[in-house]
Amino acid sequence: MATTFKTLLNQDITSTKTLLHEAIPITGSMVSGTYSDNNIKDYSHAMFQSVYDYPYLSSSANHIFDITAGFATGSGLSASAPADIDLQRKKINMYNTLAQQLVGYDANGDIRAFDTDGDFSSTAAFHSSSVFFNFSRLLTKDEMKKGTFTITFVTGGISGSRGGTTQIYGDYGAATSYKVNSPAGEYGILYRNANEASAGLLPKGLIFYQAGVVLMTGSVFADMTAAVAGSGFAWPGMSSDLNFATASFGTMLNSTASITDVSNGVRDQLYNISFNNTTELNSTIYFCRANNNDFNYSANPTYTSNSKIVVKDNNPNEVPKTYITTIGLYSADNELLAVAKLSEPLKKTPNDELTFRVRLDY
Amino acid sequence: MAFLDNSGDIILDAVLTDTGRFRLAKGDGTFKIVKFALADDEIDYGTYKSIADSGSAYYDIQILQTPVLEAFTNNTSTMKSKLISVANTNLLYLPIMKINNLYESATKLDANRDVFMVGVNNDSMTTFLSTTQGLLNGNKPADGGNYIRVDQGLNTNEISPTLIIDPSLREDVYSVQMDNRLGSLVSPSGVPTNFSFLDDDNIAHYNFAKDNNYVSDIQVETDPNLVAGLNTQMVIAGPRGTKICFKIKANNDLASNDFLFNKLGSTFTYVSDGGSTAAVKFIDSTVRVMGATTGYAIDIPVRYIKK
Repeated sequence: MATTFKTLLNQDITSTKTLLHEAIPITGSMVSGTYSDNNIKDYSHAMFQSVYDYPYLSSSANHIFDITAGFATGSGLSASAPADIDLQRKKINMYNTLAQQLVGYDANGDIRAFDTDGDFSSTAAFHSSSVFFNFSRLLTKDEMKKGTFTITFVTGGISGSRGGTTQIYGDYGAATSYKVNSPAGEYGILYRNANEASAGLLPKGLIFYQAGVVLMTGSVFADMTAAVAGSGFAWPGMSSDLNFATASFGTMLNSTASITDVSNGVRDQLYNISFNNTTELNSTIYFCRANNNDFNYSANPTYTSNSKIVVKDNNPNEVPKTYITTIGLYSADNELLAVAKLSEPLKKTPNDELTFRVRLDY
Repeated sequence: MAFLDNSGDIILDAVLTDTGRFRLAKGDGTFKIVKFALADDEIDYGTYKSIADSGSAYYDIQILQTPVLEAFTNNTSTMKSKLISVANTNLLYLPIMKINNLYESATKLDANRDVFMVGVNNDSMTTFLSTTQGLLNGNKPADGGNYIRVDQGLNTNEISPTLIIDPSLREDVYSVQMDNRLGSLVSPSGVPTNFSFLDDDNIAHYNFAKDNNYVSDIQVETDPNLVAGLNTQMVIAGPRGTKICFKIKANNDLASNDFLFNKLGSTFTYVSDGGSTAAVKFIDSTVRVMGATTGYAIDIPVRYIKK
């Protein structure tokens, strides 16, 4: 009996999971400069700022990350008399919004602050004022790969022309050492270098791998303020208390600076960001086995001329040949559910046995 | 679709079809792959041995260099010519299928176009009459008239038609696919049939096994006095297998409004062999008949007309 279908047996189907990584480089010139900030989207609520990879009014633009800033309810900034009570509320709100999601609540049901070393049982310092980078799913995919994240800031230069030295922060050592006590998945700690990371000294931020959120502590920017103290540069349109060169980060957060102003300052100081993302590919592999007696004839209309098989050269004893270009995967009711194409025709004769490994990723 | 890069290693470009994604989204367990088939859609076997002077190693050089297109996601656009598994490797002939427009006047194609006309409403059928050559009564198929017949067998003069086709190559089950928006399949006596399933592109799939109203053996005549007469009614020159006969019932929507005619069709002046002439709206489509055993398929052109 001639047949065109072959049943897949249990041993012909297997499932597997593969992690796929992509390198994601984000240059500072794209974040601030190249597109004259036409790729920066500000909102009337001024709670965060969105960065695109192209002027955002274009349909070609992709949202790459958001920047926001805030401080904890129990921080010194929150206790001080604010210059603008509404702006202060927004900054506390942003901090708490992210803290709820990323570090959760303590035993009393209060929102936890971002702990510097990830040890919630200790009373060690916490990141009281922070800048947050929320990366889009387009970039992070399923998660950011541990041990690959670096963020670099310039510590000098003048407005519109970054310069001076750069300072790199990264999740050094996180590939083998990371935290799992967050309700939002795994996270690592950012340090200035591997030595400080191995010693657990001077943590500068946190990175939440599955959530795609990076927290940089306010002291990072305070450090840079000190580094360029006296250089006297200022960002356009900003009063002296709104730029890191002449005002501390704390002053900025507590001043009349909005989150948008702070975000502008951070972008101007950003040199680059680099990390690898991770995509979890769940795959089903179908081994389509064409044994020696399988698929040696074709229903192709050109296969016969007056019903005579053209590749047999008028000789019944000549082996039949076919040239495979396509593999179809079918349901029980003969519906074509998936199709695979070979990049070039593959010859099949009764002298050959072929196994095609068709992988469907989900 | 672009061609696949064939400059290096052989790669396999696999995608879910639209039907596959549809079933996956339904989440009702209907997305279950249980079998596979192979096909050679791009191959033109006519190029085999086109470079014969350089030796047998070059017989299939052109075939092996054939560029292959990326996978189509439309489930009905691919796997057009399937490969066949037959235990006997000494076959020299394979069966084909042909429209039998010789059997009787009722099975003929339109006199002026190689197409079957389907009158969708009563006005069309009273204007052109159901006896018009190649015109199927899509309005009331049970009223009699023309039908479509497809014969299967070895179309060669080198084997006598008095011989019986190898049973392993005889089609006992046929699959018919047609656009369900335009019409549905009915038996030659006009009895409607439910489709087996309807895919996401509104293509209805019908399956027919032998010994029902649609599929039957082709008469094999061994009496020499009768063979010649029978042969004049046959399009298959050699041993004959089975035949499938059917009619088409036009969708009621075609009869009741012009939406699909305006969207998918146009108008032309239909001149029937009976001499009737009228401007009609039409939609061109195809009905695909495929043998479940050999996978051989033919596309039958049909034109739905409305006066």
